[in-house]
Amino acid sequence: MGESVKTLLQRLVRRIPSEVLKTTLDKWGRLTAQQQRALDLTQPKWTLMENLWAICEENEWTLKRITELEMIYVIENPDQGMWYAYQLLDPEDDAHCVELIQFKELFRYHLRELVRHVSVKVKKHTDEAVWIRIAWGDSFSRPNHLKPTYVVHYLQTPYVFVTSLTSKHRPLLSQALVLSTRYQTLKDANLSGRKLTAIRDLLMRQYQQVFPTKCPSPLAEKNHPALKKEQDGNAANRRRMATEAFGDGTLPQLQTAVYKLETKFKDPTNRTMSDREEPFRCVVKFSSTNLLESLRDCASSGFASTPVTPLLSSISLKGKNYFVVTDNDPGALSQTRRPQN
Amino acid sequence: MKNKCTFFSLFTTLLNFCVSSAELTVLILPQNLQKLRASMDKQCSQEEEEEEEEEKMDDDSENSQLLQLMARHTQLKDLLHAHHIIGTMFKYQGKGLCASLTTAYEGVYLETYNVEIDLKPRLRISRHNVPPFIPLSSLAEQSNMQTDIRSFLDTLSKHLNAFAGRKQQLKLVKELHKSVEVLESNVLCSVLVMLLTLPGEKSTVLCTLNYTDHTRLLPSGVHFECKDKALPDAPEWKKNCSLLMETPVHKALMTMKKNETIL
Repeated sequence: MGESVKTLLQRLVRRIPSEVLKTTLDKWGRLTAQQQRALDLTQPKWTLMENLWAICEENEWTLKRITELEMIYVIENPDQGMWYAYQLLDPEDDAHCVELIQFKELFRYHLRELVRHVSVKVKKHTDEAVWIRIAWGDSFSRPNHLKPTYVVHYLQTPYVFVTSLTSKHRPLLSQALVLSTRYQTLKDANLSGRKLTAIRDLLMRQYQQVFPTKCPSPLAEKNHPALKKEQDGNAANRRRMATEAFGDGTLPQLQTAVYKLETKFKDPTNRTMSDREEPFRCVVKFSSTNLLESLRDCASSGFASTPVTPLLSSISLKGKNYFVVTDNDPGALSQTRRPQN
Repeated sequence: MKNKCTFFSLFTTLLNFCVSSAELTVLILPQNLQKLRASMDKQCSQEEEEEEEEEKMDDDSENSQLLQLMARHTQLKDLLHAHHIIGTMFKYQGKGLCASLTTAYEGVYLETYNVEIDLKPRLRISRHNVPPFIPLSSLAEQSNMQTDIRSFLDTLSKHLNAFAGRKQQLKLVKELHKSVEVLESNVLCSVLVMLLTLPGEKSTVLCTLNYTDHTRLLPSGVHFECKDKALPDAPEWKKNCSLLMETPVHKALMTMKKNETIL
């Protein structure tokens, strides 16, 4: 037990950057004032670890305490690792009134029914997000705290965000979530990214969307009752279409969009390829540090044609970044389960 | 009524302007939604003042102009029974329309939500910025959006305004009542759990408000929990219970403080 506590603490100290360690420890609030003063965060990590381990033994911290610290760090720094969005479907009649305590109890109960040894921690964050940390064991082994899964869910919304979940554990988590949220199924939402905040903002529509409404808001209307017609130049038109497709201002930071093509090869100059019966299977991947802003810039600068093709605008419209494109309707997109590790 | 005059003259201006550009925009100012709806339905026959008599005459000629313009846009005739749709703005672009629903609470304008609806081949919601905890597609189904857009937008507007109002109430509770600790809330603002402090012994009461009807600004259930099991049945707490059921929470707490039942 002591070994695993030490290992977890070591991993954590290694993982958390020194500048962030202080605030994380402060938020955790488990160090006494004296211990806090004694801890010198400018020291190299291995020295820091030794000091923290000494405090740990002094305070008799258990695995539970250290996982608490880890959870605080992850909640405050959620934009790392790879996050995947899932969608709950077919709510039962009482799905909209599931409240926190009920959800917590049901989730713990159902997960424990499915997995003999599992460690579950549920914490509500100030922005109404419910965070769940799961350390998985099985019938023969204790929960592995070094590879926990984190789940984020906002009650009364159909979305669940997950990181570090293996395919083995996915059906178990799915079942527990469905039963505790009072929905019937959980499906892959085909949206993933390194930043939880980005995929969350995209699905919760917390970015500045632009709609084709020229009239000012009621407050502005009081000051400027006369409407002026916009001079729609080409550039202004492109910009308008680009912002309508993707949004205005800072956009959720996605890194990739993947299109799995299952369409027939079409090129009149290449008979060999276009005469083939089977579809030409290939995968097209767009990568960027900020994909949506790049696509918006492409459209407003004229680099990409406007109006923006549904293939690209669907990323924002549907809140997805994995698509399967078939020949049935080239403009429309269908989705199948995206391969995950 | 001043509100009505503003509305009609603005409406005509916009209609005249937009007709020429083959687009149609209708703007209705959401002052006091319920009052305006009621007054729109009446025909100004109750107005007494001369000023309003004049305005009424203007309204009438504007009215007939309006009707002519409206008739020219047959697809939107139903939608353009504008006096029934208040707090909503439309933009018609040939292929679809964009409804803008402005929310307001206690005279303060809050968020504006937009829903783009494609008209062909059938009515279908395309883009929108309605948050996911408002069940847009099931509202569309339940209110028969295909045959009755007005009813759908009315229902959606009710849900959005109620949500915005509850959210605003929560914000006011946090701002105005620092002695009250908000223990639980959710994104839909349909549940509120607060810790109230009793004067004197400084013991606490856990107060849970459940807003099960999401079109309402007031809770459908109020529950008190206290170490003193007899407290919820005490007459002043029964009064507090009614207060919380009948008045917006931030105002109810104000009254409870005045009555000295809480700190």
